[in-house]
Amino acid sequence: MAGSFAILSALARSVWRDLRTFGSVGGNNLMLFMLLVMYQQPQSGVFFLMILAVLMLGPLSGDPFRKIPRDRLALWPLAARERVALRVGSLALSPVVWVAIVFLFWTGGWSLGLVLMGGAVLMQAAGDVWGRWREGRLSAQRGVALPKFPGRWGGLVQKNLRQMLSVLDCYAALVLAVGGAVYRLAGAKADPDAFLILALVVVIALSTYAQALFGLDLPWGIARYRVLPLRGVEILLAKDVAFLLVAVVLVAPLALVPGLAGTLIALAVGHHASVLRPLPQMRWRFTGGTLWPSGSFQVFLLVAIGVATGRGSLWYLGLALAAYVGSLWYYGRMWDRGA
Amino acid sequence: MQFGDLKAVDQASFEIPAGRICALLGPNGAGKSTLMKMLTGLLAPASGEAAVAGLDVHKMPLEVRRMAGILPESLGLFDMLTVEEHLHLCGPIYGLSFEETRRRADQLIDALALENGRHTQAGQCSNGMRKKTALALALLHNPRVLFLDEPFEGVDPVTAQTIGEILQMTVKHGVTIFLTSHILSIVDRLADWIIVLRGGRIVWQGPASELKGSLEDLYFDLVEPLRVADLPWLGPSQS
Repeated sequence: MAGSFAILSALARSVWRDLRTFGSVGGNNLMLFMLLVMYQQPQSGVFFLMILAVLMLGPLSGDPFRKIPRDRLALWPLAARERVALRVGSLALSPVVWVAIVFLFWTGGWSLGLVLMGGAVLMQAAGDVWGRWREGRLSAQRGVALPKFPGRWGGLVQKNLRQMLSVLDCYAALVLAVGGAVYRLAGAKADPDAFLILALVVVIALSTYAQALFGLDLPWGIARYRVLPLRGVEILLAKDVAFLLVAVVLVAPLALVPGLAGTLIALAVGHHASVLRPLPQMRWRFTGGTLWPSGSFQVFLLVAIGVATGRGSLWYLGLALAAYVGSLWYYGRMWDRGA
Repeated sequence: MQFGDLKAVDQASFEIPAGRICALLGPNGAGKSTLMKMLTGLLAPASGEAAVAGLDVHKMPLEVRRMAGILPESLGLFDMLTVEEHLHLCGPIYGLSFEETRRRADQLIDALALENGRHTQAGQCSNGMRKKTALALALLHNPRVLFLDEPFEGVDPVTAQTIGEILQMTVKHGVTIFLTSHILSIVDRLADWIIVLRGGRIVWQGPASELKGSLEDLYFDLVEPLRVADLPWLGPSQS
């Protein structure tokens, strides 16, 4: 059984390293916003915390056993009982199982704990079946199906959009936007300012990604950008168009113009970190940016300009546009200089 | 080109006639990739100048990139895009219509035997397939000059042969090729112009026809002699 233990210990190390990648949420603007809200109103903060937790549960529920390369597993000289021990032991390494155990002891109720534990095992089995079903399928290889965009950079915009849709920030923003839209459609008599604030919270949820526009391209994609006959402004613009598309779709049912102003500011500030200090990112995680100074400036300025625009002064939308164009031009030149 | 106190490339001066295959040889760390990056505008030299097809690399970087096909050391692929999507993305950037891009992409996929990986994301492709994809990207826009950083390394013999034949065909059409490689047998067969770098300096350059003896002899004479260390613990009789 020594072989199984050695493999399990390596698997535990791998799971632990994987868990640490979820720490990127600590540098996310939504986390900053949540902390500010919790400071004022702890109950409201719990709502945002739940959104983060639910979204992270998906990637966390992956089967640890699948981390072992299948070919490697087949090559190891393990007896049948060792393979069974490995399979059973790997279940104990699943973070979802740990959550179930915490609930078990916390609530003291065996029934709830066992239901959660069963749910965790079922979730892993379902993930395994889904993974095997998708293996080798065209749709799995191509990723999220997106329309082709026209023009010289159409392919770049499509790629950038696909990248953006593979980080959890988008889905946190989607949950908030859908919640707000349903609330509005339900005809509830809410304060109009509520939709303005909700639109800006949606932009905050997306804004960290504006600090890491090249985060999913690192390191090889950057080399491709460098050999393409494109100026820095064009490369940044192709990134921004994808970002704006997602943001506009999500804020449109809430408060389009203030949301757009906030989005332009998020991009204008985010270009600095994206071009000068690109941080590598991972798919299916929250984007990890820097809360100070980029994140704090983004949140403060996008809320200030968004609220000012929402209060009826379109001059502020013009100001946001001017800031965005200036930032695009400046950081585009920085890119050309090899920043 | 200098990195701190280290001069990666020093006093490198050469001119390659058009329509030739020039091979840049040298051991690891000799400065081959740095020189390649300087010629493609990815790195600026501390002093001196470089021109490709008459265009100053540092004054007109976009024009150089437009007419050059580049296979970078890192291959420069987006992990999330399939082989076909890479080609479809890049064609329009070089001014090709979408129809023309698709036509050429299909032909390149066929010529480089990439059909099996057409819909595979680059991040999941084998090293050989990734290399062939990057080569297809370098050829897609019909470049006048090709810069290929180690095009034969990590690919199977059939693929290496295919790449070699494609390069010879492009040279017949007037394309100039500048490549680096460690595989001397392939270089010996393909290149008609040789540059040997050691410690960032050119130690030999000229037409391959002027070589006295074999390329291997020249390389081991100029660059470094063969060394084989003894590892006494290797072998079935050892513990």
